[in-house]
Amino acid sequence: MAEEFNTESMLDMFLYESGQLLEKLEGIILEKQDADCFDDADINEIFRIMHTIKGSSGVLMYENITKVTHKLEDVFYYLRESHPDDVPHLELVEKVLAVSDFVTGELDKLKNGDTPDGDEKQLVEDLDEFLGRLKGEIKKQGIEMPQANRHVEPTQFYITPVAGDDSHFYRISIHYRSDTQMSNLRAYSATYALKEVAEDLLYTPDDILSNEASADVIVAEGFHMLLQTKSSKDEVIALIDSSEAEEINFDELTKEEYGAALSEFGREDAAPAPAPAAASKDEAQDKKQEAPKPGDYVVKTKEAGKGKTLAKHQPKQQTIISVNVEKMDALMDLIGELVIAEAVVLQNPDLKVPGLELSNFQKASGQLSKITTELQEVIMSMRMMPLTNVFQKMRRIVFDVSRKLGKDIELEVIGENTEVDKNIIEHITDPLMHLVRNSVDHGIEENAADRTAVGKPAKGKITLEAKNEGGKVYISVKDDGKGLNKEKLYQKALEKGVIENKPMSEFTEKEIFRFITLPGFSTKEEVTEYSGRGVGMDVVVKNIQSISGRLDITSVEFEGSEMTLVIPLTLAIINGIVVQVGDSPFVIETASIKEFVRVGEDSLIYEPSGEEYIVLRGECYPFIRLNERYGLPNSVDKVEEGIVVVLEHEGSQVCVLIDKLLQEQEIVVKPIPSYVKKIKGLSGCTQLGDGSIALILDIAGLLMQDGERR
Amino acid sequence: MAEELEKNEETDELEGLEEEDSQKGKFMTFQIGKEFFGISISYVNEIIAMQPIAAIPEVDDYIKGLINLRGKIIPVIDVRVRFKMEPTEYTDRTCIIVIDVKSTMIGLIVEKIAEVDTIADESIMPPPSLGRKDHERNKYVYGLARTGDMVKLLIDPERLIRQEDVEAVMEDARKDEQS
Repeated sequence: MAEEFNTESMLDMFLYESGQLLEKLEGIILEKQDADCFDDADINEIFRIMHTIKGSSGVLMYENITKVTHKLEDVFYYLRESHPDDVPHLELVEKVLAVSDFVTGELDKLKNGDTPDGDEKQLVEDLDEFLGRLKGEIKKQGIEMPQANRHVEPTQFYITPVAGDDSHFYRISIHYRSDTQMSNLRAYSATYALKEVAEDLLYTPDDILSNEASADVIVAEGFHMLLQTKSSKDEVIALIDSSEAEEINFDELTKEEYGAALSEFGREDAAPAPAPAAASKDEAQDKKQEAPKPGDYVVKTKEAGKGKTLAKHQPKQQTIISVNVEKMDALMDLIGELVIAEAVVLQNPDLKVPGLELSNFQKASGQLSKITTELQEVIMSMRMMPLTNVFQKMRRIVFDVSRKLGKDIELEVIGENTEVDKNIIEHITDPLMHLVRNSVDHGIEENAADRTAVGKPAKGKITLEAKNEGGKVYISVKDDGKGLNKEKLYQKALEKGVIENKPMSEFTEKEIFRFITLPGFSTKEEVTEYSGRGVGMDVVVKNIQSISGRLDITSVEFEGSEMTLVIPLTLAIINGIVVQVGDSPFVIETASIKEFVRVGEDSLIYEPSGEEYIVLRGECYPFIRLNERYGLPNSVDKVEEGIVVVLEHEGSQVCVLIDKLLQEQEIVVKPIPSYVKKIKGLSGCTQLGDGSIALILDIAGLLMQDGERR
Repeated sequence: MAEELEKNEETDELEGLEEEDSQKGKFMTFQIGKEFFGISISYVNEIIAMQPIAAIPEVDDYIKGLINLRGKIIPVIDVRVRFKMEPTEYTDRTCIIVIDVKSTMIGLIVEKIAEVDTIADESIMPPPSLGRKDHERNKYVYGLARTGDMVKLLIDPERLIRQEDVEAVMEDARKDEQS
């Protein structure tokens, strides 16, 4: 099959779809992790997810994925049909997560072009054992269960909902043509279609899915359904696929008749189902072996139907198409060009003829400007994504780690809909994961007793919060644990030799907290599975800095700590001030500018080596003349004639001499083409409103270079 | 379905071949100083008029800077300077040939565009390896072509733009190792 047609696009689709489904799955699980059990909607949803993944992995012949998902599907099928009472919920959650991890792992392999060769046996056995136990428990409790078959009908006795006044009752019998293939699946699709409108639905034979033999029974005796619904007769008929049906009997019943018929169906239910316990496994295998038969297509149509109902039940679900990022970038470039072209047209010198009547032109051009501005906003918003997915991962981590460490922790999530540029999301996931792990592992106390001793609730709390403020996104991880101990941090820093031997009083609180972000620093004596290797925080800080963000740490001992990532809203656009040096425009990021000053020659200090410093209000700053640094002609040489810009980056300052200020504007950062080798002190380039190109100054680079020269 | 796919692929291939065929043996020729140069037309994206160039500091002198090509920022190099000739003033005949070499877009500043020539493989001779003192100039030229009474120097754009780049990368790698 693989040779016959190009499976690549199918594979892509499969990866994308399954990835989405797994994310959804984790969402459901983690939402319900602390509940006592899954509700019907969840069970159905998980069942559907497993079923879909099973189906598509089967088509692509990834057998191990198919097997595992199939097993879990079995478990949920059982849960769905039998509603057992005492389900070990946590164990079930773990099982589902295990499957989810397994499939995710296999998908990752596929993404990297490897073959998904993970061993599913153990997992399948576990699930089998789990399912067996579930069934066994039910038996022990003596709940009405004719056979240990997966189909137990008691459900149908007690779910009968209260009939409303406008409910109709129907008895429907479908007789299929005698040569109909897989009539049980057809019958199932009929029940499935009816479930959408049904308030209550009973059918016989009732084991249509699990028992292949039921197909014969249906062909011989017909398929009978009892339906309670608000829909009219015509609507119901329209739902039933009658293509293979020979005859459909449709009787409207009164409430009383319905009640009588109900018990009739109930009695039929009580009749022993044919398959013995051991057979259920065989059946599953039978089913799989039969997969390549034409009947398989029937199964698939049914799947499609499922997808539809899914959408119906969840109108909130966003419709999303995935677009190649390159195409987005190209679109953004073009829109940028459009804006410039617009300016060229609207401010065309040809229009500046005196006495020209332009009122219509002005109106039209006003409209054009509006549209282009809107267009720009839309493309920008297209790059933004909510943090929901990232936060969901964090839930998972808190769940995993806290359970492994035996800590009781509650996670509160605030502002998960905050939107951030897609590139940035990719960069913050790992750092954030680290911070969350740290909070669970180091932040929250080992023993609940330690907490209650200082008057805190026994259950630890971690708050994950995101907010958007002043063009920056703040994501904080806050725990109410033991907090950072300054004394300890200081001692540790001394031991590790990461600081010079200075008394503790010379460090501010912030500086001491910042020790933990130094490489090779960990206050935890023991290395655990999750953290404590001391490679964490410095990497976090590095990653955050690479997207020009920063990490703020605040902490109060015994009350907890808060780590806040402050990151720009988007990487693509920065607020910049355009300045001119010689003939070239440069852009400086507004956020790094402290002030503009005009100074006289007398503020300069010359070193014999030729270095220059500038003295401002008694403080001495390094001084860089951009024109000399970059060899730019036609520029201002005298300090009085130019403007000095004081720039700050991570606490260190530098003064830069420029000729004049041009304007402030939002600029789209573009990389300098890789053909040109990397230039220190320049981080990129951009095009200005008139289409000309300006280089963006990189303050960190300037400072570094300045330091190197000394 | 599989068959259809195959068919599509075949036609795609055919089209590709045709396109290549129509470009084969064609060279964009231009003049620098007194000499004529040629570059295979398959590399050429477009030719644009000279436009304002944003200079970049601290780069080799032949890299003139960056231009804005409909929102795409591409570097331009002065071929004359690249060939170690004295730079001249740009005139209204000065053009930029935008070439695409292995998905790197680069503009070549040339004094004057001549024409598109068809040069048969047979009439391309390898450049004489002796008799030229200036080895530098030689390395970008992979062949000499005689058309009419003129000799045109055929340039290998990959060598034209890459050579020193590789060195730069190596240097960077060395620096990284040291640090």
